[in-house]
Amino acid sequence: MSRPVIIVVLIGIIVSILGGAIGNAFGLGFLGSPIAHIQLPAEPVFPEPFLETGSGLIGDITITNTMVASWITIVILAVVTFTVNRKIREVPGRIQGLAEVTFEFFLGLAKNIAGNNARRFFPLAMTIFLFIIVNNWIGILPGFGTIGWVESPEKVVHHAEVKAEKDHGHVNLETVHLQVFEGTGPIVLLPPGSINNHMTVSEGYVLEDDGHLRELDTENRHGFNEGQTPGLLIPYLRSANSDLNTPLALALVAMVTIHWWAFSTLGVFGHLGKFINFKQGPIMFVVGILEIIGELARIVSFTFRLFGNIFAGEMLLIVMAFLLPVIGIIPFLGMEVFVGFMQATVFAVLTLLFGSMAVASHDEH
Amino acid sequence: MEGDIKTIGAAIAIGLGAIGPGLGIGLLAGKAMEALGRNPEAAGEIRQNMVLALVFAEAISIYALVIAALLIFVA
Repeated sequence: MSRPVIIVVLIGIIVSILGGAIGNAFGLGFLGSPIAHIQLPAEPVFPEPFLETGSGLIGDITITNTMVASWITIVILAVVTFTVNRKIREVPGRIQGLAEVTFEFFLGLAKNIAGNNARRFFPLAMTIFLFIIVNNWIGILPGFGTIGWVESPEKVVHHAEVKAEKDHGHVNLETVHLQVFEGTGPIVLLPPGSINNHMTVSEGYVLEDDGHLRELDTENRHGFNEGQTPGLLIPYLRSANSDLNTPLALALVAMVTIHWWAFSTLGVFGHLGKFINFKQGPIMFVVGILEIIGELARIVSFTFRLFGNIFAGEMLLIVMAFLLPVIGIIPFLGMEVFVGFMQATVFAVLTLLFGSMAVASHDEH
Repeated sequence: MEGDIKTIGAAIAIGLGAIGPGLGIGLLAGKAMEALGRNPEAAGEIRQNMVLALVFAEAISIYALVIAALLIFVA
């Protein structure tokens, strides 16, 4: 890199360190915003549930932000596929070229791993690969996790109360944190330099005996002022694989299909004979039982590998954006692109691998 | 006091859980370098297989991270 570029980059790093959370300790945080609220379950997009079933077993049906993100993925994949399929030319244009490159890369991989069964296993593995990779890659676009609706403090305290009741405790208002947005009205925002715009609920509200939250009047509260709105930012969009449900669904689909392939190739008794076999002595019987546990462990490992990588990447991006505001997440975005691609590849490759192991008849061991 | 034992648990989970995969990935990369030195022509093959094995070793530490995150954010 040439000398002026190095100087600009160094100045950028120093400015962002001073403007972020580290500089805030010295009174200088002019670029940052308070750290986003990280939670494991996906958050609903509307304040009220979409469909209220009366049953306590199923609960209410809500539309969550990860669900919306996976719908966007489906729309993207469908649009690209229709565009490519409408006019297939001998000499491909750019989108068709991209589709061809992806297909050839993956078909080569499938032939390498699955051999004769590649054509049979390819549709499911390719679908899983495309779904996971588009989900991961659109999850790092700007806007995912930063644009959302503001949940009112009453709802936040209500959620904290429900959680505290499960542990048989009482909610401590000093541990419930809120972000303080600038502006009132329909659009509020956290501008640069708002790194201290957070408060605990006890600094502005008091919990009455009948359960509702009362706002303290202007002299007694020191959490927020006029012209500011306290609340919690609930994003409209969140990466689909950072919710445990999507990886679990993909893992279940993959494992059920693998067993379906095995049943259709080896027959019911041929496939079950791998797990409960009396023919090869007592040791192989125990090995068969252990293989059943191995199948369950595969579902768990599929799910947690994908979920853990994407969720941990999301937490990493949030924390890095908090510490070094504008430029700190650039190398981590690059890492997320790579991790998203690798996780999609590994999921699909493992599906192919387990599929080809499952349809191999046991005598070839 | 109520949250403290969970925080310690989360710290132990990720701390001890990162030892194994760290060693594993280091050994893996070392052997890959060795193989690369002996046979520079097979660089593409070696690199592909190394990255594949890397992802599996990494997944174990991700399991530990998920438990730590579960302890802090959910329980």
